[in-house]
Amino acid sequence: MRLEHIVFHNLRRRKGRAIFLVIGLMIGVATVVTLLSLTDALSMHAQHELENFGANIIVTPRSEQLNLNYGGVQLGGVNLVPHEIEQVSLVNIDSIPNRRNVATIGPKVLGTVEMQGQRVMMMGVDPVAEFKLKRWWSIAGRPVEQGAELLVGDALVKRFGLAIGDTLQINGQDFTVVGLLAKTGSQDDQLLISPLSTAQSVLGKEGKISMVEIAALCHDCPVNDMVNQLQQVLPETDVQAVQQVVKTRMHALDQFRLFAWGVAVTVVIIGALLVFVTMMGAISERTREIGIFRAIGYRRRHVLHLVLMEAAIVSVLAGVMGYLAGVLATLAALPLLDGGKAVWHLNPALAVAAVAAALVVGLVAALQPALRASRLEPSEALRAL
Amino acid sequence: MKLINLQEVTKRYVTGADCVTALDKLTLSVKEGTFLGVMGPSGSGKSTLLSVLGALTRPTSGTVTIDDIDVYGLATEKQADFRREYLGFIFQSHNLIPYLSALENVMLPLAVSKFSSAEKRRRASAMLARVGLPDRMLHLPQQLSGGEQERVAIARALVNNPPLLLADEPTGSLDTATSRQVMELLAELHRSGQTIVMVTHNRDNLEWFDRTVYLRDGLVEKDTGKSDCSLSQAM
Ligand SMILES: Nc1ncnc2c1ncn2[C@@H]1O[C@H](COP(=O)(O)OP(=O)(O)OP(=O)(O)O)[C@@H](O)[C@H]1O
Ligand SMILES: [Mg+2]
Repeated sequence: MRLEHIVFHNLRRRKGRAIFLVIGLMIGVATVVTLLSLTDALSMHAQHELENFGANIIVTPRSEQLNLNYGGVQLGGVNLVPHEIEQVSLVNIDSIPNRRNVATIGPKVLGTVEMQGQRVMMMGVDPVAEFKLKRWWSIAGRPVEQGAELLVGDALVKRFGLAIGDTLQINGQDFTVVGLLAKTGSQDDQLLISPLSTAQSVLGKEGKISMVEIAALCHDCPVNDMVNQLQQVLPETDVQAVQQVVKTRMHALDQFRLFAWGVAVTVVIIGALLVFVTMMGAISERTREIGIFRAIGYRRRHVLHLVLMEAAIVSVLAGVMGYLAGVLATLAALPLLDGGKAVWHLNPALAVAAVAAALVVGLVAALQPALRASRLEPSEALRAL
Repeated sequence: MKLINLQEVTKRYVTGADCVTALDKLTLSVKEGTFLGVMGPSGSGKSTLLSVLGALTRPTSGTVTIDDIDVYGLATEKQADFRREYLGFIFQSHNLIPYLSALENVMLPLAVSKFSSAEKRRRASAMLARVGLPDRMLHLPQQLSGGEQERVAIARALVNNPPLLLADEPTGSLDTATSRQVMELLAELHRSGQTIVMVTHNRDNLEWFDRTVYLRDGLVEKDTGKSDCSLSQAM
């Protein structure tokens, strides 16, 4: 028999006590793991949501001419018919290194058309992409899908007195109004929006694109990198990041992260205290036993060895089980939060940290009463009950 | 040969404002091979004397030498080694480790020694057989009777072959018959040369001792072993 056997027999033969101790520690670990992985999943999801929120990169045709326009006011010079982007060149976007970060590509064609004797702006869009990019759009009726369908901006609705189901003649072709766009306060209020290919043929711009809006999911790459990559594969264009969008987004995320960290730190402290108190109580109640060990000639070192080895085994066990329990709790809780869209993902760092923290806190907690008991005169320790 | 020598040993306990003198300049020596009984009223300092003898509590003043070793001159960890090599303890009750079997309890002092596993086991089971429990090795303390537990404790105290055995009321919680069995066991050990110091309340045990010390208020009130105390004892 060696010291290890004493620890082993203690854990094995006083299972109830060992289990109670493990459960006590486990609750601490599991609470921390649950809250940390919940905030982790939710913050990932929040980031995802934010990054779906509008375009953050804009691709426009390269204009060779100096732009003599400030704040929308034309300051002279001949405004040449702008170049257009070739629609086929857009497939190049798929070849950039960070293509996985490209969430949505919204190509559009722009031009003016005749309607009831007046010139109005028409925009052709890829319906799926566009409505993903413009989540703030609120539409009466339905979005355009294909063919000669129109979504009409608020200003035009008022000017022409339009309603859903109306038929309009544009450049000699019949269009049906399927949706009305509620007032956005932007240039979108002035638009007739139709599916991309329809608009291209009405405007005589088959295969041409006037601008592309891109939403990039960029939590692991700087937006500027993506801008450079896009510029390389689309040499005939100007690629620009919408800094404002990026900054607001980062700010919102930072706020959320700060909050999540605040919660995490609080929870870690509470969990550590829980583990600490449980372990300390468990060792303190063994003072008399420690007195017996000391009386029969165990050195302080031997007693510490016994107590710390047991604490280490129990803590690691509690750490592993607490982590698993925390993961299960997270999986159970996630569907109930945030519309169930956030998903759990394995975070090996958290697993390792949970077990390591349980071990360290358990050992530190055990050390204090073990040192105290082993420093008592053996006769004092024996007196304890 | 004198195994134990206490020189003017005083032990005071200070609790808050109170100060109790449990041992008051007590001087005592015990020869090797003695079976010494320590008697006296409750609170007279018997347990304290045993603790001081057993390197379990440092006296306030005075010296304790056992086998010419100044016990409290040793460093703390050395005192532990000293207890392991020189002393065997038997306490009144609750002195077995509840989660270890009888055999494992007896092996406890050996767990930190360098013997091989087989040798530890052999010594421990031989000692259990010697105290009459060869068939109780795998029992846990709670599965043993009070007398059996006491005998396991004796086996544990003896497994290191210590020169000195210290017992604090080992029969205190036992009935007369069981108590007698334990005393017979101790007497047999004594016959084979073991030095024993035993605290007891029970006058029935007197017959087994070859010397008895009576304590009162931390002082030796009567000592049957002192030649100048009574002429008849000197013979
Ligand atoms: N740790 C302690 N702190 C304070 N006082 C103590 C302590 N241990 C013993 N005493 C006091 O010292 C005196 C002697 O105690 P001790 O335990 O040696 O008596 P005893 O002779 O063994 O008594 P009993 O027969 O009841 O076991 C008592 O008055 C007791 O109250
Ligand atoms: Mg006593």
